[in-house]
Amino acid sequence: MLEIKDLHAGFDGAEILQGISLSVKAGEVHAIMGPNGSGKSTLAKVLAGHPSYEATAGGVMYGGRNLLDMDAEQRALEGIFLGFQYPVEIPGVNNAEFLRMAYNAKRVHNGEDELDPLDFDEILNEKMSWLGMEVKYKNRSLNDGFSGGEKKKNEILQMAILQPKLAVLDETDSGLDIDALRVVAGGVNKLRSPDNALILITHYQRLLEYIQPDFVHVLSRGKIVKSGEKGLALELEAMGYDWLTTTNA
Amino acid sequence: MSGSVKEAPGQAESLFLELHKKFIKDTPPSGGLRPLAEAALKRFETLGFPHRKHEMYTFVGTQDLVAQPFTLSGGDPTPDGDFLRSQILPGCEKSVVVLVDGRYRADLSDTSALAGDLAIVHLAEALADSDLQKYFKQVVDEENDVFAALNAAFLTEGVQLALKQKAAPEAPLQILCVSSGSAAGPVLNQPRVLIQVGPLAEVKLITSFCGERPNYFVNATMDILVEEGGQVACSQVQRDALDAWNFCKTRISLASDSRCFSVGAYYGSRLVRHHCDARLKAPGAEFALNAVSVLGGQEQAHQFVRIHHEAPHTTSHQLFKNIVDGKGRTSVDGTVIVCAGAQLTHSDQLINNLMLSDEARVDNKPNLMIFADDVKCTHGATVGQVDPDQMFYLKTRGLSEKTAKELLTKSFAESVIDTVRFPALAAELKRSLLKKLEA
Repeated sequence: MLEIKDLHAGFDGAEILQGISLSVKAGEVHAIMGPNGSGKSTLAKVLAGHPSYEATAGGVMYGGRNLLDMDAEQRALEGIFLGFQYPVEIPGVNNAEFLRMAYNAKRVHNGEDELDPLDFDEILNEKMSWLGMEVKYKNRSLNDGFSGGEKKKNEILQMAILQPKLAVLDETDSGLDIDALRVVAGGVNKLRSPDNALILITHYQRLLEYIQPDFVHVLSRGKIVKSGEKGLALELEAMGYDWLTTTNA
Repeated sequence: MSGSVKEAPGQAESLFLELHKKFIKDTPPSGGLRPLAEAALKRFETLGFPHRKHEMYTFVGTQDLVAQPFTLSGGDPTPDGDFLRSQILPGCEKSVVVLVDGRYRADLSDTSALAGDLAIVHLAEALADSDLQKYFKQVVDEENDVFAALNAAFLTEGVQLALKQKAAPEAPLQILCVSSGSAAGPVLNQPRVLIQVGPLAEVKLITSFCGERPNYFVNATMDILVEEGGQVACSQVQRDALDAWNFCKTRISLASDSRCFSVGAYYGSRLVRHHCDARLKAPGAEFALNAVSVLGGQEQAHQFVRIHHEAPHTTSHQLFKNIVDGKGRTSVDGTVIVCAGAQLTHSDQLINNLMLSDEARVDNKPNLMIFADDVKCTHGATVGQVDPDQMFYLKTRGLSEKTAKELLTKSFAESVIDTVRFPALAAELKRSLLKKLEA
């Protein structure tokens, strides 16, 4: 599904990713862990097509196509979803209306008719109940004044509505209390299927207790320094990131 | 040349003085209006048209405007029925006062929904009231805006709309100012409306400016006098012909515990200037002015605001949202004056501008003049473009660049549109105000 080969990328001339290679197949869950500043969020932004981030070498193939040739909108329509670490607040844009626009943009892209507000509302209600979201969040402005936990739930709600092939969740667990984390993880687990894949970017092992990854990769200074199965996350938790960076230095 | 700032001295003024002679001959103001018109003409001559550096017209060039060979609208042109109906807001069919070229038209107005609450009186008759006479004399003598003086100098067809004590009509009152324009040459029309809101009355007003044909200058003056405990929610909608000039001075006087909540919506035209002069005269008075403008092409809109807190415990709020595209130009010159003794004044002002093109222009001049020491006043202004982070966020959800930009522009304006207290008008603004940006 996703093939990242020796990817070098950065921001404003600074090279943050220094040769990342990663292969993600349908049905897999990959966790990417690493200390602050290791390039985790940069990887997420590069995959989603942030215009300020530039790939300087290497390549990314997605479903047989060159991902780097596509802009953010195309990537989204082709099934890539970025769950933001800091979801952007957009005052004045109605949450439900926005969700319907996004949902319909995808339907139109897939050659289907747009769904009218009433039919969409049914879908929305169902997904909101999965996440235990109160109805009032439909009519609030997009992320505006939402607490940290509500914002993250709203990200997963969008993921549930858009049903991406590849979701990249950037520190979805940060800022969540344990109950919210359980709900969010439950929502994500519901969305797992043999046809889609998930990249979880996280600082802590805690999230991985709820969403079991198939592979764990450790990112440090823009490179994957160690890959393994889910046990690696526990090792990391016990030994700290220093253990890896020093043993690999 | 910085030394000589007054352009073509007297020339422009003499055009209007000629026009005034014709006015006096053809349609002499009746009764008590005559001395007012004469005093206003003197004021006009003293003030003269603004030169380029005039403090009140810093951002507005009027040289082009005052050089136009204006004529006065003659006869009683009746607008096309369909056009007129299209300008009446849903819900105001039986509560609409129509002015055509500044003249009140009873034959086109219908205020049956306000029967018992509203009295419509010709200004000449209304001036039999000595308090009103005093008020008018004072505002004419103290007038510092030459275009408002010009309006008063041609005072003949003003109308008083008096809302009785404790009146609380369900229906909003729409004051529809139609400019008929002319194919022959630019026409000047000068509506003058006095709105009196009686003690404890609670009313909703909508003033709309529209043009049936192009080629006109509407130079209006509105006086809104709110008595003790009165409450007014008013909206001003400017939707003129694209080549029109629209100047309007609104004077608002607020007695104790009265409130005026106003929202302006400006569709833009050649040049729009709104001069708002609000006076909070007694404790408990509260005034809010929100405005949204959407400008493109070569359009220009200017807000000149002076809010005078003349008594303690008074409150004012201002929020401006301006969207400029193309070579459009927006400016806000707003000063809040807290007079000596007006302790515990609370005032805030925020001007937000969204620039959609490199050639658009924005000028802001927020200002505070405070002569009391126990007050809370804030002001701020921002100028920005569409936020790239918000754009990216929306695009990662599959929205196109165009859709995302439209959505963000709309949301920028909506925080003001949502404060409009008439659902039919808010819906109409949402539908049509941003349409011009969708090209």
